[in-house]
Amino acid sequence: MFEFKNLNIVLILPALVVSILLTSKLVIADENNWGYVYGADTLPKGQSELYLWATDRRHKETGKYNAQDYQLELEHGFTDKLQGSVYLLGSSHEIKGSAPLDQNGNSEYGDINRNGITGTKASIKWNILSTYKDPIGLSLYLEPGYNNRFKISGEKQDEYSLEAKLILQKNFLDDTLLWATNLTLEAERRKLKASGNNWEDELEVEVTSGLSYRFAPNWWAGAEMRYHSEYPDWRKTFEREHYAIFLGPNIHWGSEKYWATLTYMENIVGAPHAQDDIRHLREHERHEIRLKVGYNF
Amino acid sequence: MIRKTWLSLLLLISTSLNAQVLATVEQVKSASFAESTQFISADITLNKNQADNIEKLSGVRVRNFKQKVWLAKQQDKTVGWLIIDEVIGKHEFITYSMALNANGSVKRIEVMEYKETYGGQVRSQEWLMQFVGKLYGAKLKLDEDIVNISGATLSCKHIADGVKRLLSFYEVVLKKNA
Repeated sequence: MFEFKNLNIVLILPALVVSILLTSKLVIADENNWGYVYGADTLPKGQSELYLWATDRRHKETGKYNAQDYQLELEHGFTDKLQGSVYLLGSSHEIKGSAPLDQNGNSEYGDINRNGITGTKASIKWNILSTYKDPIGLSLYLEPGYNNRFKISGEKQDEYSLEAKLILQKNFLDDTLLWATNLTLEAERRKLKASGNNWEDELEVEVTSGLSYRFAPNWWAGAEMRYHSEYPDWRKTFEREHYAIFLGPNIHWGSEKYWATLTYMENIVGAPHAQDDIRHLREHERHEIRLKVGYNF
Repeated sequence: MIRKTWLSLLLLISTSLNAQVLATVEQVKSASFAESTQFISADITLNKNQADNIEKLSGVRVRNFKQKVWLAKQQDKTVGWLIIDEVIGKHEFITYSMALNANGSVKRIEVMEYKETYGGQVRSQEWLMQFVGKLYGAKLKLDEDIVNISGATLSCKHIADGVKRLLSFYEVVLKKNA
């Protein structure tokens, strides 16, 4: 897989999107009021949207942990109720002495400093009930994907995933106060290069919920919550390995063609955790910041 | 490099802030009341009782107590009213005019400013014509007596709610001055 040696992808991908925007006649759509929570709306038929996701994840229990995840997404409305997307994935990792220790006292993974393009995804979203006409908005979402870098350690891998999402949205106060909740199940099958031919299965169960209030034309502010849990080898024993709960504020700006959303998420509680902490930091970080920038056309 | 990236983003944002004015007040006056010789400004500031009444009758929230109104006259005869109003769009306000006949029925609606990404079909007279003739008490509900435009539901719903609120505004305020 192609690697950007000695370049910071944090700067490259936004610059790439900006270049595309400046040189095209594109205009943006199914805009996201939240960083982590999905709304129930879909793009109108024939409309398209291009957007960039950048997530910054930092700080473990010890050492230096600095990781970024990127998604460049192209979305299209096939009908007024059905949209599809394709994604290009990228990530960067700068890890030094932050890996947890295994039972033998060895680091679970090594130090690394890398960035590059890592995979691809596709998704469909089907709006079943309208947020504006029905008592509650309801959409279903399905997303298969492939990634060649492990999100936590940055190690080489082959990972296939299938994510299914139930999306609920209810609007209040003339559609100026939005509430959305998602239930997400994601099945992953992964083989780390270092582990030979050992395929691992994992199920992620996630509940996210968010509020967003329009406090001025074009501007929205709100908060979102994310409960994340994982069930390794879930086909044999359905036992939760860990969970983590994140909470934080967000701000969203949207106009006719462009929109942007910024969310800060603090890891507040989880298990298992170290004796002197209440957060699960083995597979999560202390805080995350996600920026999405979108363009409708 | 970071500075340049942010500057580029700000540039993109600033270029999208141009308002899209589709019709001026003078244009909607002549389009709505070609027969009128005189428009008398009759702006209204609602008191709380009036606003509460309008909300009760229409089931729609009154967000702005100030209402821009003109009385349309042909010589000494009142031929109707012209109201300019705003409803919430996805990002900004949708400005529209509603002309009422002297009996309070809808004469013409025109979208004056629309700055949203989607849903621009609500600007067409083909869709707006379905409000013509509606009186206070009309249901004005999407998929019932108002045809919805798929993909433009938010704009359709808010304009239909706005018309319903203005018909109640006529009933509570203008009718007494007719």
